Amino acid sequence: MSRSAKALPTLRQRLAQVHLRLILFALTLAAASLLVSGVMVIRNYAQRNLELIASTVSYTVEPAIVFGDNAAVREGVVSVAAVPSVNRVEVRSADGQVLAEWDRGQAGLNSWVEQGANRLLWPEPSRQVVRHSGQTIGEVRVYGNSQGILRYAMSGAIIALACLGLTIFATRLLAQRLQRDVIEPLSQLARVSHSVRTERAFHRRLPPSGIAEIDLFGRDFNALLAELEGWHHGMASENAELARRATHDPLTALGNRVLFEQTLSEAIVESVHTGASFAVLFLDADNFKAINDTHGHEAGDAALVAVAERLRSAIRHGDQAFRLGGDEFVILLPALHNLGHIDGVKARIEGAMARPFVLPGGDHRIMRLSIGVATYPDDGLSPQDLLRRADSEMYLDKNNRRSGGAEDKIYA
Amino acid sequence: MKRVVPRSFRLVPLLALLPWLLAMAPVTPVALTVGGDDGGPGASARVVRSFIDYTRWPSRADPVTICVVGPAAWSGQLDGMTLGDGRRTARKAVSIAAVAGSGCNVVYMGRVDQRTAQQAFAAVRGKGVLTIAENDPQCRSQAMFCLLPGRQTLGFAINIDAVSRSGLRIDPRVLRMASGSAR
Repeated sequence: MSRSAKALPTLRQRLAQVHLRLILFALTLAAASLLVSGVMVIRNYAQRNLELIASTVSYTVEPAIVFGDNAAVREGVVSVAAVPSVNRVEVRSADGQVLAEWDRGQAGLNSWVEQGANRLLWPEPSRQVVRHSGQTIGEVRVYGNSQGILRYAMSGAIIALACLGLTIFATRLLAQRLQRDVIEPLSQLARVSHSVRTERAFHRRLPPSGIAEIDLFGRDFNALLAELEGWHHGMASENAELARRATHDPLTALGNRVLFEQTLSEAIVESVHTGASFAVLFLDADNFKAINDTHGHEAGDAALVAVAERLRSAIRHGDQAFRLGGDEFVILLPALHNLGHIDGVKARIEGAMARPFVLPGGDHRIMRLSIGVATYPDDGLSPQDLLRRADSEMYLDKNNRRSGGAEDKIYA
Repeated sequence: MKRVVPRSFRLVPLLALLPWLLAMAPVTPVALTVGGDDGGPGASARVVRSFIDYTRWPSRADPVTICVVGPAAWSGQLDGMTLGDGRRTARKAVSIAAVAGSGCNVVYMGRVDQRTAQQAFAAVRGKGVLTIAENDPQCRSQAMFCLLPGRQTLGFAINIDAVSRSGLRIDPRVLRMASGSAR
């Protein structure tokens, strides 16, 4: 859809144009040569006809000249020469005196053209000497009439024009057929490649075409598209995997800090729009370090996985849990409608954590979580404020537990 | 010889054919105007010469003998005329009784009564003699050609019946001139 696409003619226009020119050229050539050769042939026949008429007139009027009867001469002329191909007949005596003459009445608009054509085609009349017993007694002059030839030329021109009309019609039809047979597959190709480029629609394929070359091309193109589709899918899944890895914690499969910060920012933006509040729960394992130190990293990892599973089961659909690193977890409760829900989630987490979990060595342990809550917008408007607030709340909770003499089996 | 006649008949319109069937004297009047050079004799000479020019005899005669019968007003220039093919004419006066035996090629009938003329023409009928009547405008005398003097011109009438029985071949164009004019 670049600016040149509008200025350039389409293939169909080009083909129609070429067709039209070709056919016009051929038709003009054929019509002109036919017309010229036809006129030549007809003129030759007409010339012979005139000669024949001249000799017939000469034969017919001979006795009348001998008898010296001009009226009979004229009658003889009229009886033979009054045909459309004759324009004028003169019968002269041997000394050049006009004995009889006959003229085709010229009238109407055509006479101009006719007279011009007469002069052009027959600059000289057909002459025939009148002889009687070997002696020249007169001369007959017959002037041709171009009416027949003009009529032929006229009908030829009309037929040529009619053919021209037919030609233009046929050119349209041809262009349409070409469009169907050649251009349609090509434009299909253009559409498919365009949508592949702009929409990544690698699943689209060219339909089979009725033309061998285009069909072969289309099959190759389809094969290329299939390969591209395979590559595209591979790359897309790899990209998705990479993206997932970049935003998720590989151990617990929870979202990591990067994803949390992103999600938090989005939650803030959404709350600004909707006016709804949300809550951030900051969670920290109370005795993780002890498990890690006494039972090893493997046990620590198992503990973290267990915490992640329990957190996941304790939250609603739509709430999200993240692991920020170490034994720090965050839960985001978006679209919070009543604050009682926070307490519900907290209670469910407490409940879930109260069950002991199994260490790799076979020991059972209970792990406690300290939880700090910050709500938007009451506890802060920026991510940093909210997180800081939740963090400090969590420490308050942790300190409360310690001072409250809450003891665990770990310490026992 | 009779073959000639139907050919000429083809050119003769019904107007000429009808009286031939009904009457014994079918006459085709010729209204053509013959330009006379110097009145009667000159015009007559030209017409007679033209008749001879377009007539074919069974045997070629040179000179062509023109027998003038009876008192003829316009026969003065008939002698010594030169024909188209170079032959000349010779005029001689013959009596009615001697017409058949005088070796005439042409009989030019002067001013005699109709019965006499008919007898003379009957005597030469079928013998290859061209018969011309000078003073028979009705053309009842069985002459092949009858001169028709007009005010300033000289026309002629053709008796098709007489032409067909004459034993001569007349150029059909001459007959056609008559028939064409008769229209």
